[in-house]
Amino acid sequence: MQTRKATSFSYLDQWRRWAPLAVLIALCILIGLFNPNFLSTGNFIRLLNSAAIPVVLCMGATFIILMGSIDLSVEGIVALTAVIASLLVANDITAYKLGLFAVPVAMAIGGLMGLVNGVVHVKLKTPSFMTTLGIGFAGLGIATAILGGLTVRIADPTFRYLSLGRVFGIPMAVWIALAAFLVALTIQQRTRIGAWIYAIGTDEVTARFAGIPVEKTRILVFALAGLFYGLGGVLAAAQFGQGHALIAQGRLFTTITAVVVGGTALSGGVGSVVNSIIGVFIVVVLANGMVLMGIEPYVQQGVQGLLIIAAVALALDRSRLSVVK
Amino acid sequence: MSKEWKERLHTYLPIVFLIVLVLLVGTYDPSFFSVGNFLTVTADTMTLFLMASGVTLVIMIGGIDLSIQAVASMASCILAAYLGRFGMWTIPLAVLGGAVAGLAGSLVSTRLRIPSFIATLAVSGVVLSAGYWFSDTRSINIPPDLSASYLSWAVGDTLGIPNEIWVGVVAMVVLSVLLQLTPFGRLIRGIGAQEQAVIASGINVDRIKIAAYVLSGTMAALAGVVMAARLGSGSPTLANEFLLPAIAAIIVGGTAITGGVGSVWRTFVGALIVQVVRIGMTFMGVSVFAQQIVFGVILVAAVAITLDRSKLLVVK
Repeated sequence: MQTRKATSFSYLDQWRRWAPLAVLIALCILIGLFNPNFLSTGNFIRLLNSAAIPVVLCMGATFIILMGSIDLSVEGIVALTAVIASLLVANDITAYKLGLFAVPVAMAIGGLMGLVNGVVHVKLKTPSFMTTLGIGFAGLGIATAILGGLTVRIADPTFRYLSLGRVFGIPMAVWIALAAFLVALTIQQRTRIGAWIYAIGTDEVTARFAGIPVEKTRILVFALAGLFYGLGGVLAAAQFGQGHALIAQGRLFTTITAVVVGGTALSGGVGSVVNSIIGVFIVVVLANGMVLMGIEPYVQQGVQGLLIIAAVALALDRSRLSVVK
Repeated sequence: MSKEWKERLHTYLPIVFLIVLVLLVGTYDPSFFSVGNFLTVTADTMTLFLMASGVTLVIMIGGIDLSIQAVASMASCILAAYLGRFGMWTIPLAVLGGAVAGLAGSLVSTRLRIPSFIATLAVSGVVLSAGYWFSDTRSINIPPDLSASYLSWAVGDTLGIPNEIWVGVVAMVVLSVLLQLTPFGRLIRGIGAQEQAVIASGINVDRIKIAAYVLSGTMAALAGVVMAARLGSGSPTLANEFLLPAIAAIIVGGTAITGGVGSVWRTFVGALIVQVVRIGMTFMGVSVFAQQIVFGVILVAAVAITLDRSKLLVVK
């Protein structure tokens, strides 16, 4: 697992690094003991399928959180891009039939929204949580306004194949999520942007002295996250076969829970996209397990809330925080 | 421009903006200018103001409370679900629920040293679940006879003025006195302006912060109670559209998210601005759906304008 070079290898550091994986394995064993169906192939594929969209969203959000910022616009951008994608393919409202070309268009619009996030946040120096809160609400508003509260139904089987089609028995959405993960991993490990993200998250002032173009990197990373959310929106539209403004409900919560439960610190600099994959599976396995145990679905957000608190409390390097706002 | 003038401008700009907006809407629709209409508009604004009033304190210390809409919804559920059984006592019970939620958020934030936006976001997940639990995942109607005997203080008229306004004014006076005339208020400003200095002077900062979040939860729950009383029902998603306008009201009123500067009457003005903008957009034929876009943009713009950049070395 990728982490920044630690100066000390105390047991606590080691524990922090491996805790998410240990939690995931323990969860799987516990739920498996409770309900053997959990370990069936069918359920495994169901797990992979429900992890696909959160994984794509987390790939973008992880980079932003690694910089010590936050992105609360996930739902807004996913809703907007899902609505736009479903209006561009064969559907019951518009006459466009772009087919798979709708995918790059939706992703570009996601990227554009992310770019707006980044530019406003960096140029106007507004904190990212506030900027993305505002832009995210604007995105939701645009998505609702385009459709006037209606739902658009998708009638393009090729587009829906992006989520529902199966290759080697595994849904296409899972393969796309895997591709998104590999792209994110490459960016993190093999590009300068990846290294700069860690530098900015660890110590922005020093990063600036070291000649890293902090502003440009920040804007770029927000735009990049928007691209991933755009892909997430496409997958959501393809999965449900429809587009409406509420399609993204609950996505923000799941995304942030997954990233922080995976062990990426909100203070920045510590964590990786690999951590986020583990985080997504913790969230998805827990949700799946609760369904198998017959727990009411509305309890899930409460449990996720508690998970966020526990994970952040464990992961935060408090020595770096003098004042907590 | 001298510093003094800048401060004066900063203080009165929201009021000027509000008056200009009212005049603009009035020229569009002259029937807007009537005492009755002003009272209706103000009464409609009060739930928004109540929700935003407590968060104002939290924003003044430089934090944020993202759990208010979940808290207000939960309070409406508690009220609607138990009014038949506990009568008048349900109201303090519902408000207490909000206070507990505020306490939970602040304890998570201060004791575990977690940034407030994530602490309150996490708590809002728990509160939302609690709301679903209290209401059994349904929307619950409040029978008219119960409403008449226990909730008339929130929905009737007194001396020709809607009771919502009385509730809002009482809340504003109490919170303003707390902020302007007590050591607590001075400490709130102090923490927002320079937290380290307050810590260094030996003040228990965490206790003040906790009090601010508890007040925020309390006011949000009160807003939920009034909302439920007006609508005649409680539901776990009742206040779902209120977070953005509430924060927008605070910031548009001139309270800076960097902390230290602000007051409750500003939020009152801000809430009226939000409401008049909303009415104006409806007059101009902007769809209800598109209004959220405008509020999102207004929020970001107002944050950018009120921000004290000298305080920010690194913007995260």
